[in-house]
Amino acid sequence: MSIWLVITRKELIDAIRDRRALLALLLFPVIGPFVIYFMFNTIVDIAEEAKDLTLPISGAVHAPDLVDYLVQSGIKLEHVEIKRTQTLDEKSGTPVAEPPSEVNTFEAVPEPYTYPSNLLAEVRERIEDRTYDFVLVIPNDFSTRLAHSRSVNVELFHESSRATAQAKVGRVQRTISAWNQETASLRLMARGISPTVARPVSIEKIDVASPQARAQRILGMIPFFIIVAAFVCGMGIAVDATAGERERKSLEPLLVNPIERTSIVVGKWMAAATFSGVGLLLVMLLNLLALNQVPLEQLGLSFSISATEIIGIIIITLPLAFFATALQLFVGIFAKSFKDAQAYLSVISMLPMAPLFYNIFNTEDRELWMSLVPMLGQHMLLADVVAGKNPPLFDFAVAAVSVVLFSLMFIYGATLVFKRERIIFS
Amino acid sequence: MIEVQALRKSFKQIHAVDGVSFKARDGAITGLLGHNGAGKSTSLRILYGLLSADSGSAVIDGVNVMDHPQRAQEIIGVMTDAHGLYPRLTAREHIEYFAQLRKLDKATMHRRTGQLIEQLAMEEIADRRAEGYSQGEKMKVCLARSLIHNPQNIIMDEPTNGLDVMTTRSVRTILQDLKNQNKCILLSSHIMQEISALCDEVIVISEGKVLMQGGLDELLAQTGEKDLEEAFMSITRASK
Repeated sequence: MSIWLVITRKELIDAIRDRRALLALLLFPVIGPFVIYFMFNTIVDIAEEAKDLTLPISGAVHAPDLVDYLVQSGIKLEHVEIKRTQTLDEKSGTPVAEPPSEVNTFEAVPEPYTYPSNLLAEVRERIEDRTYDFVLVIPNDFSTRLAHSRSVNVELFHESSRATAQAKVGRVQRTISAWNQETASLRLMARGISPTVARPVSIEKIDVASPQARAQRILGMIPFFIIVAAFVCGMGIAVDATAGERERKSLEPLLVNPIERTSIVVGKWMAAATFSGVGLLLVMLLNLLALNQVPLEQLGLSFSISATEIIGIIIITLPLAFFATALQLFVGIFAKSFKDAQAYLSVISMLPMAPLFYNIFNTEDRELWMSLVPMLGQHMLLADVVAGKNPPLFDFAVAAVSVVLFSLMFIYGATLVFKRERIIFS
Repeated sequence: MIEVQALRKSFKQIHAVDGVSFKARDGAITGLLGHNGAGKSTSLRILYGLLSADSGSAVIDGVNVMDHPQRAQEIIGVMTDAHGLYPRLTAREHIEYFAQLRKLDKATMHRRTGQLIEQLAMEEIADRRAEGYSQGEKMKVCLARSLIHNPQNIIMDEPTNGLDVMTTRSVRTILQDLKNQNKCILLSSHIMQEISALCDEVIVISEGKVLMQGGLDELLAQTGEKDLEEAFMSITRASK
């Protein structure tokens, strides 16, 4: 058995018996898929709920046209009554006059009706105690004002911090706006004016993103989880094999054996990379399982991945296991204790965030140097593959070669550090 | 056999080892005696190839340590002054790990491991994890793994430091055994009792220099003192 293999085997046995290292390996890969699974499910739920919408409405009798329109748009109505019998004016204590329900002359149309504060308080209370999440209140002078071509305030009370209700509120708002447009157009036409006069510009949003490209935005988290896994899962061994050896004073006895320092570093590297690689594959596997469980079609998204794409992802990401652990070993040797090492390496574990943020804000096309930057290159390739695009083979090669070179550089550096007297004896 | 000639090593401004020369022959236990910081550990570390000397030579059985540190490491067994074990490995695994690092074949590894476990009376802890070992148990594992390849030369830095009487005694027995097998044993200590109980040859070292080398009797005769402690005191006093 080669010396490095002896060392790899020993480090692996050691790590498997280390509950903390094992927990990091097994726990982290589970987190990502769970997050994605629940995120997707929540999005699906919200979208589903908006489709199946029941609108609490008060004063529906005053606006038959609008109500018809809402019903035709597939919105179910739930009639609620907001009591006004005891509406008192705050200052005088006398009952506030109801707005007139019949106004005959154009001149007599009063200013828009404003609700007294205690009515608002009641609505707020109902929303707070979750009798309903939102409510549409129609004033009783709705038809009158409309008939006189005045504008009417309808009020849509809602609670913006209630995420699940937002999709529904949005839909109600859009439906009323559409009715508004339609009514405006009718009014103009009645006066012999083309509705286009009042609408110089109309915007029509056309989404050209393929369903897969739309999925990319949400699935963009997966490459991130995979890259972070490379760092998190091998960290336990990397710390134990470097700073750990120094802290428990087992480095000197190890080094009196007639073996090359390179064998020692490579042996430790392979052990850490094994954990890191297993973590990576676990993350991928669990993410695929999670995606299979999510009803993506309901969001109008489709995600399919072929065996070749999976192999592609593995080829892209596996070198990262070697890169991450090489870097961790190199840094870990400088640390005298577990505590030091963990402090240094937590900072390093933040590195995968960099390409993610870069890719969020980067609008330029991919250039060669980006593929050469470890993690950035992988991140872009992964994002492409997940989005169903096929990146050119050249980019794969460039990214892989770059990561391997960087890893070897760190390992060479670690070997040099291992030879330092100061590192061995302190 | 270990021969050291005019060894020098400085750390920044401090001359840790300043022209040390001595000889440790086969079939004898040679003790490096000196205060803490006298240069014992530094000399030994140069011998087992973890420190490079600034000048001088160290030869083990004809192998120059400076030129071929790995070949020298092959023919020595070293118990360093650091006794770190891996808390999640058993005693047997520790010993076998070092056997594999020294490329022993499987049969030899199992035979030697079994022998050492028996010799050091560590059957009880052999398959228990190192977490929670007593100081003596740790030391036994260190000793066993440094002897796994049956080396001709044995270098030990403070081998009985911090051990209880029982363990100290069993270490002594083992060292006597090794001596009877004609091995060359070089150990360092600052404990007079230890040196006088074990060593055939004593090297008195102070501030990086060898003050005297000789048999126990010679040392006493030269200084005219009754025991090693007094002899040591008079030698170090005379040098100042």
